Amino acid sequence: MKKTSKERTLIVVFIVIFLVLTFLSPDKFLTVKNIRSMAFQFPEFGIFALAMMVTILTGGINLSLVTTATMGGVISALIMVKLYQNGVNETLTIIIAILTAMVISTLCGLLNGYVIAYIGAAAMMATLGTATLFEGVGLYISKGNSISGLPTAFYWFGNGTVFGIPVPMIIFIIVAVVTYILLERTPWGQSVYMIGCNKKATMYSGINVNKVVLGVYMYSGFLGSLAMIIMMSRYNSARVDYGSSYLMQTVATAVLGGTAISGGYGKVIGVVIAVAIMQSISTGLNIFGLDRSLTNVITGCILVGVLTLNFITGNFNLKIKKLLKQ
Amino acid sequence: MKKILKNREMGLVILMIAISVIITLKNGVFLRPDNILNILKGNVILALVSLGMLVVMITGGIDTSIGGMIAATTMLVGNFMVAFTGNVVIAFSLGILTGTLLGIMNGLLIAFVKIPPIVATLGLNSIINGVMLYITKGSYINNIPKEFINFGKITLFKFIPDGKGGVIGVPIQIFFLIAAIILTYVIIKYTKVGRGVFALGGNKISAERLGFNVNKITIFAYGYMGFICGIAAILHTSIMKQVDPNAFNGFDMKVIAAVILGGVNVMGGEGSITGTLLGVGLFAIINNGLTLMGISSNWQKIILGTIMVFSICFVVIQRKRASKHIVKVEIE
Repeated sequence: MKKTSKERTLIVVFIVIFLVLTFLSPDKFLTVKNIRSMAFQFPEFGIFALAMMVTILTGGINLSLVTTATMGGVISALIMVKLYQNGVNETLTIIIAILTAMVISTLCGLLNGYVIAYIGAAAMMATLGTATLFEGVGLYISKGNSISGLPTAFYWFGNGTVFGIPVPMIIFIIVAVVTYILLERTPWGQSVYMIGCNKKATMYSGINVNKVVLGVYMYSGFLGSLAMIIMMSRYNSARVDYGSSYLMQTVATAVLGGTAISGGYGKVIGVVIAVAIMQSISTGLNIFGLDRSLTNVITGCILVGVLTLNFITGNFNLKIKKLLKQ
Repeated sequence: MKKILKNREMGLVILMIAISVIITLKNGVFLRPDNILNILKGNVILALVSLGMLVVMITGGIDTSIGGMIAATTMLVGNFMVAFTGNVVIAFSLGILTGTLLGIMNGLLIAFVKIPPIVATLGLNSIINGVMLYITKGSYINNIPKEFINFGKITLFKFIPDGKGGVIGVPIQIFFLIAAIILTYVIIKYTKVGRGVFALGGNKISAERLGFNVNKITIFAYGYMGFICGIAAILHTSIMKQVDPNAFNGFDMKVIAAVILGGVNVMGGEGSITGTLLGVGLFAIINNGLTLMGISSNWQKIILGTIMVFSICFVVIQRKRASKHIVKVEIE
């Protein structure tokens, strides 16, 4: 894995922040209890961030990410509750519900991908429209209420541990590794980056751009469903507004992680570190007692700061190259 | 190209008329003057901010920080009015100054540090919102000076009969909207900076080579957005008679949706004021009319989303068909 300056900057920023936070609340931040609680909280956001990242890589964006996930979640929760109440075997209920959520969110991704790739609409417009549509469907089905009464075995997904590692974290690690392999180690992943760099050239290289973009949005929807499953298990209910504040944060996190908003560049490891940074700040400052609103300010400043740093080092590298050429 | 846009706008008008007819058949209150004035008053802010967003989107950018900018301006001006004076002119000046400064900050980040617009405005939104919430602790301001509240209640042309036997006038905020529409139109059509906005959105490199100062245009676009947000903040306070720091969460998505519905090209370079106003109008009619018809707000979102997706597809397919007849010269 070649590490470029962007990712090196990120690792340094993360270590610095982690050290600062530990210094601020020495006996509360660096405890097993705190790290475990962070490890329970950040996977859902991390999976959303990765789902957003893949779509940004193609030069698009998925504004409907959270609403497709919640719509799938709400429908699957309803099915879970109905089946459970009618006495169907618990494991079977859960399996059916999980599959439903995955299928629905992937189909939503299919719709997004179709409108963006085959009809040719701009990603922001198309996903904004589908986001409103899916939110409406989710609200209609759930009547705006939260759906609770999920089977107790479902609790394991968001709250259980395997050898001491929280299950959500395991799911996140698997997702991150799979996404890394898909994006950086397969020809399909290569074509995703190529499309983000220059769509026309990729088309002329013989790659079926439409199919790849379709696949990207379907994958994004699928990952969204995984995040929703974790959220449903943690909150033991499903509601359309879960995760609504995550949407813009995932864009910010993906960009913080080095993803270029115009597409063509972005590493999974960068996004993972960025998610860790965001989560550490949020939890660490909370422990330190800092007001929630100031945490937002600091997150915003870090985002702007890291990007400014990238800009300055980018310029600096260019100047060095020009000097060396002379 | 103009023909296609006109077609699209005609499509929007037809859609609006069709929906209005359906709503009036179900509930005659819809076309009553006092209801129409209600719709106008309720959507004045949306329409105003959409004008600013139109300018930004024509440059190919986007501004997701409007929620924070308007909220911060209302908090600042609200606190100022409670502490000092309810003088309307001072309030407006302060609001416009704050908004424009915040907007210019956006523009500077985007033009000089080359941060993509969506990220820069997102970051600035977090910062502005966070600072404002921290300073004011999210509290409402309810004791706005009487002078200002009376200004908000002014209505002109008090001779429109409402359906209930009395007469009502047009609220003053609508005249501000009309002034903003005229101002935006003049800027876009007749000033160098305004034409530069279109040039920048169409093709940045071409605009640079033609001699446009791209940085100045970018800063202007976002500064203008901030200027409009400042006015919107004051008008909102005058309508609501109080300051609520959380009133504008999620407002940016609404504005972007309305502007997109109105036919702006997200890549930049295309867009019209008529289209944007029609988009806002469609939004307004759907919200108000469907409520009058007794349709739950859940269905409203589904209908709105479907209309958005269909209208986007419609525009794109039309554009593709039109461009088949045009010979293109690739510059890069």
